[in-house]
Amino acid sequence: MSDEHKPAVKAGPAPVHGLLAEYDTPSQILHAAREIRKAGFTKWDTYTPFAVHGIDDAMGIKMTILPWFTLCAGLIGLGTAITLQWWTNAFDYPWLISGKPFWSIPANVPIMFELTVLLSAITTLVGMLMLNNLPHPSHPLDQVRRFARVTDDKFFLMIEASDPKYDEVETRELLQSTHPHAIETVLEDRVTEEKMPSGLVYGLIIVAVASVVPFALAAKARYTKNATPRIHLIQDMDSQPKYKAQRANSFFADGHADRPEIDGTVAVGDSRDDDKFYKGKDGDTWSRTFPSQIALNDATMERGRQRFGIYCTPCHGQVGVGDGMVAKRADSLAQGTWIPPTNMTQEYLRQMPVGELFNSISNGVRNMPGYAAQIKTEDRWAIIMYVRALQRSRSGSVTDLPPDARASLK
Amino acid sequence: MAKGSKVTKGSGDGPGGDNIRLAEVGQALFIKALGVGVVALGISAFLGMNANDGWNRFSHSYLVAFVWVMTIGAGALWWVTIQNIVNSHWSTVIRRVGELIAANAPVLALLALPVVLPLIMGNPVMYLWADADLMHKSHELANKIGYLNTTFFAIRFVVYFGFWTLLSRFFLKRSLGQDKETPEVAAKTVVTMRRLAGPAMIGFAITITFCAIDLIMALDPKWFSTMFGVYYFASCVQAINASLALSLMWLQSKGRLTSSVTVHHFHDLGKMVFAFTIFWAYIGFSQFMLLWYANVPEETLWFKVRFANSWGTMAWVLVFGHFVIPFFGLLSRHVKRNKKSLAFWCIWQLVMIYVDMYWLVMPTLGVDEVPFALIDITCWIGVFALFIAGVAFRAKSLDLVAKNDPRLPDSLAFENI
Repeated sequence: MSDEHKPAVKAGPAPVHGLLAEYDTPSQILHAAREIRKAGFTKWDTYTPFAVHGIDDAMGIKMTILPWFTLCAGLIGLGTAITLQWWTNAFDYPWLISGKPFWSIPANVPIMFELTVLLSAITTLVGMLMLNNLPHPSHPLDQVRRFARVTDDKFFLMIEASDPKYDEVETRELLQSTHPHAIETVLEDRVTEEKMPSGLVYGLIIVAVASVVPFALAAKARYTKNATPRIHLIQDMDSQPKYKAQRANSFFADGHADRPEIDGTVAVGDSRDDDKFYKGKDGDTWSRTFPSQIALNDATMERGRQRFGIYCTPCHGQVGVGDGMVAKRADSLAQGTWIPPTNMTQEYLRQMPVGELFNSISNGVRNMPGYAAQIKTEDRWAIIMYVRALQRSRSGSVTDLPPDARASLK
Repeated sequence: MAKGSKVTKGSGDGPGGDNIRLAEVGQALFIKALGVGVVALGISAFLGMNANDGWNRFSHSYLVAFVWVMTIGAGALWWVTIQNIVNSHWSTVIRRVGELIAANAPVLALLALPVVLPLIMGNPVMYLWADADLMHKSHELANKIGYLNTTFFAIRFVVYFGFWTLLSRFFLKRSLGQDKETPEVAAKTVVTMRRLAGPAMIGFAITITFCAIDLIMALDPKWFSTMFGVYYFASCVQAINASLALSLMWLQSKGRLTSSVTVHHFHDLGKMVFAFTIFWAYIGFSQFMLLWYANVPEETLWFKVRFANSWGTMAWVLVFGHFVIPFFGLLSRHVKRNKKSLAFWCIWQLVMIYVDMYWLVMPTLGVDEVPFALIDITCWIGVFALFIAGVAFRAKSLDLVAKNDPRLPDSLAFENI
């Protein structure tokens, strides 16, 4: 609809919008459409209760370009899915899933399929609406009473007055020659408010603002700190009716949840009166020799190598120089708060009494936690034996080898 | 398409004066197809005997040819049933051709005998499960004896083809009867056929699923895929729509149905070929991905064999030849509305269905490379020609259009935007 027909004020007789002809059957409207097309009109349209087969041909409507939109959108969806999955899982953050390769086409196909279909479908719908000039809030035909039956059983054809070939009399005669049920002059719409209803405007604004709220909350949560606990909707077994160590408990007189050992008793297996074995001490000094319970043989060395591999290598590395996986990861993050694990082959550690090493493993040192709870006493000693071997291995000389083996190094 | 026959217009007793009887053309086709079929199968049998491997090679070639033809035969029955269920108006003018192909079910049963009879008699050459010792030795196979035994197989075979024969007979008989009825009775016949079509479709779904399992999946008695029936069904639907389009083009070249079957009907058949190009890929990939992801040895071995050596090349041929290339080939409406381009893609997809069947069946022969040879071609010609002979024999004396169906005017005036 062209704007020049819109009146500046709402007074006076409304200008003519076009001529409307009403038909009873699909074949009549097909015939009329062919005639109007033949006469060379350009600004006209037909309105039918259902899709009339052949109306496109009769009106000379060109094939829609919508399929091309769909094809392009589908290809874009496919490309997006491929790029997204390659970027996220194969390039930016390689993540091993079910032992499949990082870049694994079969696993990616469902997403490719879905994004292709999704973008095609949405584009087809939106493109169809756009190509049809929808949504269309008001139209002069809405004011024509008989036009209401277009959704029921009548077929309409309207030639707009803005068509260059339009002529009040001749066009009416032309339409008359197509044997319509009736012809009616359609006036410009003077009834419908030109402004959008304020309720609709405010409603849209409220919806638009409300739709931003979740994003705003998410953004706020990302950039602020909050001391209050999270809202805990699903409790599962997070709060259990039990008391943990070091917690207060009003039930007991001393107010502790912990129960002290009863005076004059020792729990079974808790009688650890051998200081050399359990604390690494000779009187008041650190023991320089292994306790007698530890057999200094290959079996103990092998046990120590295994335990070292399990408990120590994550930080200290395979040969104890402090290059374990955890340390490497911490280095790469470069956060500045990380205290690197000790290189165990340093001279002062080579000189350190075994009892002191035992104490470090048992009770921790600096940021290293104590391992007494995880590693059995004998195994801690076995680890120390292996650590001693590692220390030797870093500073060995050719004289350490048996004479007959020295030749093989040359 | 054959040329030379005179196109007669306006003189027949079909809609718009179309000629709707094959008559002497059908008789000639029957004789030719029968001759070609018998000769081709004779050569195949000779080649199979000379292979001296207990008919193993011949059986495999024959099975590939048979399951390929069955996609058309069983697909036709599905096609007729679905047209009745949905009360389709557009297809009324071409439905009789579908009914005639579907009614060839008994011939299909006869054609299955070279594969089925040795099996029922306990010959384990192709279907290893017929070997009772083997079944009892393996724990996993011993648990399948309840299903994989010759007695139950024989019963199932009779049920499949018996059901298809009865069902296709019902549709053809009612449809032919309709030709002579008054409009009121003809309208009631439409309802009768539609009423039965619903339950029949359930029966069809079950029979085609288990038939595909028995004939193809059971070649490897240890392998299983719950999607196999649907996978085969996808080929069935594509095969019948492609075959219908090609049959109608042939009929028109012989001066039959020249004005009543229009570009709009071909367009719709083309759409179905296109749609089931995607459906085949969808099902085929779904089957593959589930097995690939779970990575269970007894399931993946089947694919391992089919991805090795030239079988792997064949798998890629299927991915691109059966899906990617025809997808873009059939995408445009202009391709589907042009008889020549539509014929090209219909033949292309029928060839690809053959490649698919070959890829499914032949690796159980135990060869590392694709063993394509003359015997495969002669078997295919033989089985297909005899199938055509069966259709031609029935069709030659019957009307090619359900001329009294109340939906026929809609179908004739059908326009496909």
